[in-house]
Amino acid sequence: MIRAKGLSKRFGDNLAVDDVSLEVRQGEVFGFLGPNGAGKTTTVRMLTTLVAPTGGTAWVNGHQIGSADAQVRASVGLLTEAPGLYPRLTAVENLGIYAELHGVEDVPGQVRRYLTLLELWDRRDEPVGGFSKGMQQKLAIARALLHEPPALFLDEPTAALDPEAARVVRDFVDELRGEGRTIFLCTHNLDEADRLCDRVAVIRQRLIRVDTPANLRHGLYGRSVRVRLAKMTPALEDIVAALPFVRSVTPLESGLRVALDEPETHNPDLVRALVAAGAAVQYLEEEAHSLEQVYFDLMAESREAAA
Amino acid sequence: MNLSRIRVITRKEWLDMRKNKMVLGMMFLLPLVMVAMILGTAAAFRYAPEQVSDPLVPDGTPGLPPALAEMDTEDRTLALLNDQYMFYLLIIPVSLPVYIASYSIIGEKETRSLEPILATPISTSELLIGKILGAVLPAIVAAWVSYLLTAVGIYFLASRPVFLYLIRPIWTIGMLIHSPLFALISGAGGVIASSRVNDPRAAQQISALLLVPLIGASLLVLMGRVYLDTSTLLWVTPIIIALNAGILWLTVRIFQRETILTRWR
Ligand SMILES: Nc1ncnc2c1ncn2[C@@H]1O[C@H](COP(=O)(O)OP(=O)(O)OP(=O)(O)O)[C@@H](O)[C@H]1O
Ligand SMILES: [Mg+2]
Repeated sequence: MIRAKGLSKRFGDNLAVDDVSLEVRQGEVFGFLGPNGAGKTTTVRMLTTLVAPTGGTAWVNGHQIGSADAQVRASVGLLTEAPGLYPRLTAVENLGIYAELHGVEDVPGQVRRYLTLLELWDRRDEPVGGFSKGMQQKLAIARALLHEPPALFLDEPTAALDPEAARVVRDFVDELRGEGRTIFLCTHNLDEADRLCDRVAVIRQRLIRVDTPANLRHGLYGRSVRVRLAKMTPALEDIVAALPFVRSVTPLESGLRVALDEPETHNPDLVRALVAAGAAVQYLEEEAHSLEQVYFDLMAESREAAA
Repeated sequence: MNLSRIRVITRKEWLDMRKNKMVLGMMFLLPLVMVAMILGTAAAFRYAPEQVSDPLVPDGTPGLPPALAEMDTEDRTLALLNDQYMFYLLIIPVSLPVYIASYSIIGEKETRSLEPILATPISTSELLIGKILGAVLPAIVAAWVSYLLTAVGIYFLASRPVFLYLIRPIWTIGMLIHSPLFALISGAGGVIASSRVNDPRAAQQISALLLVPLIGASLLVLMGRVYLDTSTLLWVTPIIIALNAGILWLTVRIFQRETILTRWR
């Protein structure tokens, strides 16, 4: 569980993180989105006690940063922007060092468990400098998990990887869901956030919005459905616009875009009305906004607000 | 302070060193060159005395310590040369730790492996001490082994008075106790220097400044201006201990978690 209250960090004149308050529940996968220099890494570093905030405070797994730093660090795992493995050391040696630093009881057993999970057991005695980037990244994530921390911070786990390696890592993170661990995931990749995260925060120095990906879409655009008709006539537009639950109607080339609050409840009525008016409904689907669209619109909004 | 975490760091340094040809090469080459130079000189005195140059300090020079006054001029020259060479042996504990530490820290900067380490429960002093020990202990072993080889070689190559003069308390105690202290200063100096620069050679050059007083002292001894005896230790030891305390205090003080993270890159 992570709770931040007014967390801020100033480097000289540069306010890198400004008054960030948020709460991440136990077991939640929480996405942290923002452009370069938005303060993602700085926030993670504050939450893992690597840098001290210049304002505000936070609690991680019940321990307050600044007053119980060692306990915070013992209860979190961190994947840093660069994997930071020792290239000359073997996979076993790399993991062993961290297991020992964390005081893991059964070091060989735990190292073996994770190397087996990563399908690296056969290559355990090779220097990791020779591993593919994707494998190195997975090894670095495993290294953050050896002491079974309740909270895991992943700072752009797929940013430096080619699409295939990125998928390997993403699948691995997906597997970690549902083990009850809180996962704090910084990312640029909006598909990744959409796929993995229960909720996302959009940040640019300040926190711009926090919500589930679905709510973010709906909050920004409302909900709407696209109706495709065999033949579109202007009269149909008026009939649909007159329905009480419809917020607005936009004619399309071969149908209508209808904005409405609860498609689940009102779609049947909408279809009935259209059919009654003689329209031939071919299909009807909810209009999907990608998280990418949401993100860019939020960014544009925040730029305007700043200007 | 958690000793087992310090041990983990030190062991990691050695695992890494084992596979670093530059560091490994330096660790064997430096002692080898020093010991070969000392024993080579003794061998020249023994097998080709006619080639050996004029005596450094002639018979009857006032102020000669009895041990030197009783030697013949040739032995006395060799004994004084050996005294100077002992300073060169001190180059091992003074320069090896700098060398090892600067490779270690600059390597960590390159692989960016410090940040994940700092996110574990380790304290910064545990990390720094582990690193300094990783650089210092091999240098101490190298210095001791070199001194031992030198003493054994001189025992066989030179006369008994020359051998006894070599192993008199100042050098035996000096090598046993002072070379570790020198090594500590050097290791901490290497850590401080490499946190400021990004090239091992630059770090080593800065730390090579440590060698200047050592070489100056060695020249005074060679010219017979200063004769080292046990009383020398009485005033040298407190200075070295004070230097150690100072540099270790400074190291732990200037390296906060945040400083390491933002400066060591
Ligand atoms: N140690 C530091 N000293 C001074 N400024 C810093 C330091 N670390 C970060 N900053 C500044 O703080 C701001 C936020 O940086 P941060 O690395 O947190 O961004 P980010 O969201 O992680 O970006 P990216 O997507 O590029 O990783 C930037 O303007 C950066 O230049
Ligand atoms: Mg970042």
